[in-house]
Amino acid sequence: MAVALRALAHKTWRTIASIQTGVVLLILVVILAALGTVVLQRPATEPDEMQNAYSPQVLRILDAVGLTDVFHAWWFLGLMLLVSVCILAASIDRFPNSWRYFSRPYKYPDETFRRALHPQKSVAIADEESGLVAAERALHSLGFKPERVVRQDHFGIFAERHRISELAVYIVHASLLLIFFGTIVDGLWGWRGTLNLNEGETSNLVELRDGATRTLPFALRCDQAGQENYKDGTPKKWWSKLAVVQDGRDALKKEIVVNDPLLFSGVRFYQSSYGLTGNVDKLMLTAAPNNAPSAGSGEKKEIGLALHDTVPLDADTTLRFAEFFPDYAVRDGQVYRKSNQFENPAVHLVVTSKISGNKMVGTKTAATKTAGQDFDVWFPPLDEVADDSKAPYQLQVTDLKMQHFTGLQVSHEPGQWGVWSGVVLLGVGLAFVFYVVHMRFWAVPVCDRKTGKYSLWIGGTANRNRDAFEQNFNDLVASVEEELKMVGGEPGVPARLDGRGARLSTV
Amino acid sequence: MARAKAEPQQPATGTTLIVLVGLAIAFLLFMAFLNVVKSGNLLNETNLLFATLIFYSGAAALYLGFGVTGTESYVRFASFATWLGLLANTAAVAHRWYEAGHPPFASVYEMLLSFVWTLAVLTLIAEKKYDVKVIGTVTMPVAIVGVVLMQLLRTDVHPLVPALQSTWLHVHVTLAMLAYAACALSFALAAMFLIQDKMKTETFLAVTSASTLAIYAGVVFTRLEKGGGLSLVAWNPEQKSEMFLSRGVRLFVTIPDLGWLLTLTLLVVASPLVFYGLARWKNKDSFLTLANRAVFLSILLQVMTLVMFLVRASDGSYPSLDADGLFPTSLAASPFILSGLVGGVFISLLYMLLLWRRTDLERLLPSADNLDRITYKTICLAFPLLTLMIAAGAYWANQTWGSYWSWDPKETWAAITWLVYALYLHMRITRGWRGRRAAYFAIAGFAVVMFTFFGVTYLLPGLHAYA
Repeated sequence: MAVALRALAHKTWRTIASIQTGVVLLILVVILAALGTVVLQRPATEPDEMQNAYSPQVLRILDAVGLTDVFHAWWFLGLMLLVSVCILAASIDRFPNSWRYFSRPYKYPDETFRRALHPQKSVAIADEESGLVAAERALHSLGFKPERVVRQDHFGIFAERHRISELAVYIVHASLLLIFFGTIVDGLWGWRGTLNLNEGETSNLVELRDGATRTLPFALRCDQAGQENYKDGTPKKWWSKLAVVQDGRDALKKEIVVNDPLLFSGVRFYQSSYGLTGNVDKLMLTAAPNNAPSAGSGEKKEIGLALHDTVPLDADTTLRFAEFFPDYAVRDGQVYRKSNQFENPAVHLVVTSKISGNKMVGTKTAATKTAGQDFDVWFPPLDEVADDSKAPYQLQVTDLKMQHFTGLQVSHEPGQWGVWSGVVLLGVGLAFVFYVVHMRFWAVPVCDRKTGKYSLWIGGTANRNRDAFEQNFNDLVASVEEELKMVGGEPGVPARLDGRGARLSTV
Repeated sequence: MARAKAEPQQPATGTTLIVLVGLAIAFLLFMAFLNVVKSGNLLNETNLLFATLIFYSGAAALYLGFGVTGTESYVRFASFATWLGLLANTAAVAHRWYEAGHPPFASVYEMLLSFVWTLAVLTLIAEKKYDVKVIGTVTMPVAIVGVVLMQLLRTDVHPLVPALQSTWLHVHVTLAMLAYAACALSFALAAMFLIQDKMKTETFLAVTSASTLAIYAGVVFTRLEKGGGLSLVAWNPEQKSEMFLSRGVRLFVTIPDLGWLLTLTLLVVASPLVFYGLARWKNKDSFLTLANRAVFLSILLQVMTLVMFLVRASDGSYPSLDADGLFPTSLAASPFILSGLVGGVFISLLYMLLLWRRTDLERLLPSADNLDRITYKTICLAFPLLTLMIAAGAYWANQTWGSYWSWDPKETWAAITWLVYALYLHMRITRGWRGRRAAYFAIAGFAVVMFTFFGVTYLLPGLHAYA
């Protein structure tokens, strides 16, 4: 039983760690991800659009299977998890081998290895020592740090470069896992939402994607927001001056623009839109009495009014900002709100006079007025709705200041650090994988048993980019031959050792 | 363009003829250029592009001459002309950059400008560094088509909407261009490998015919109207933009009878494939001869269709099914149909080149082993670039939309591209895939790249509305 279990576990492990499983899983990810771009996806597509695109039966099936929200479906997340497990298993499975390779470099090539290695070359030498010295010098001149390998019965020279390259693939795999980990953390503990603020407004309520509301432990206030345009009218810049309010104090102030968010205790605020709320911030107008000379207070008054505000014009008369229509239409003497777009605005003002007309003004029309009478004034003048000619004041709208809101995206992504450090690590790892080559060179003096002549066996290998490596190898051989001419002199005369070489006492 | 396109159609009999044609074109364009000089204001973008066009045309003609005849001396002149064209092209890019205040990646026009530049640089690199001389035969005509397409597209400097004003955009797009260029190169190398690997000419016949057929099927099935008309997007010449019925809904006009012509071409384009199928089924080579003739016929018809399309779609007003009255259209309104038609002709011509000059090509191309290795190296270059491109895009998205990954179609397809190349590398490194299988993989990878670049933008909805 236990044996069977162990065999099963072993088999499972082998399957998970195998490259075939990895490839199959990746192909599955590719297919499902592609499906997720072809089938309309739920949160992004409005429900009625979905109903237009698919018949009810198809839609029901798609919904049931999860194809309308592939990237958040449990099976897709499960698949990604499986991919992670697979990467991890494959790495664990292969790592000990690579680590041995890395930690215990193969320094002395035995005969079988020497026979099989490519590229390799043999150069005639006078004696062992001169050959080794030449090889050492040649390697030095190529920027290597050669090492004399001395064993019981044989010796040689070993040099290598960029051994770390053997482990690069694990850096890449680890970085991918780090990225996955970051996204999982974000998926579990992160959230995204929107927050729209009018100028001057303070709020700590974020509307999340799913319609819920999240209350922040601090509040955000928009002091000012604005838009700059190009000459042709397309928006160039949106900006908002924001302040974080915590415990009644401004904890942080920043002007944000698109691409430059505000960050406060792990929550980011992004400028995403800017626009009109459809409400009036302030109506600017001038008022002058209809018969200026006799009223005494005849000069023009400048007035700023918010919606529903009332201001006194004189002791007996008040002015009220009654209604505002961003886009109006008139039918049967009534004013309607056609839309909320700020396209065709109308303003309704009411002038209320408390006392009878003869005291107020001496004109023939005003004489008939009674106490508490309202006069409707419209901008633009709407003759079919109200006749404002009898109003005691002449009103003129000078400016209509609309209220603006700034649209902020709010997000909390606690796993971000994992993603970005993973990305950096991935870049480093890939650079090592593709461009850092582990090169090894060996030089071993060999004595031919039949002729008794010495030759220097030189071999080399690289873990990638082998054709370029052959060029390196040929350079080395040429350099060794060059050095031999200088060191060796006449055959048979032992070469003097330079300081770099150790005397071979064990031979 | 018709002239530039017509050259490779000549049967490959006259050796110097093609070169002479190329030089004549260069001469004619140069005379026209002199007139421009007389009119003053030499260094504007139009003139620079014009100079680019002249030199690239000369280079393309010479490269074609080399590709067809194998005369080595043409290459020297060809690369000299490419250098000159590249100089003018660089000046045009710099001019654009200076004028716009941002690197030229913001519109289709600017992308093409950079694309053509990259193509010329890659051609020179491939030639000088890797000794793949014949590559100019393919890339330079593509560059010409690019420059001509640019003339048809809008050229105003467009201000950037707020979301695009980021250094990361430039990093992202530059990396994308480089990565896609490297993928394109690996595709071309893999195709050359298949030639050197003695893949049968008729297999190329099947593949090229199927690609052309796919282009025509795509156009006909989406744009053919009842009564044989062809729907195209209406174009507002004053605003230089597409016309919209309402927000997001384009206004289509119908050009009468053009749809029939396209359908006819579709049938003729399909015929080589049918003959190929018959040849395989009946095991008779005579059908292959027929198929090759059908390809030739299809080229003639395709050129005719292209000319008709150019004539009718470049000017004139046509009725629409959705609105009353006549509406103008322009080639600029249908850049993808146009490039599809041009691409179709081009693919067929490449096949003809292979059919007629296979032995020469085999002599000129590097050995199969070398090509296999260079393909792998190019992908080793493309893969890190793809990775960095995705990373830069994610970082930018995080700055702009508040999320580094939102699974929008373009993102998803970029990830799919990355996965496909990751699979390639795993198969190659751990399973030792070499040769044909690796070449097929490289070709499939590039197909995914093309879909990510074009297909996603025009077939699938998403956030990447800018590109």
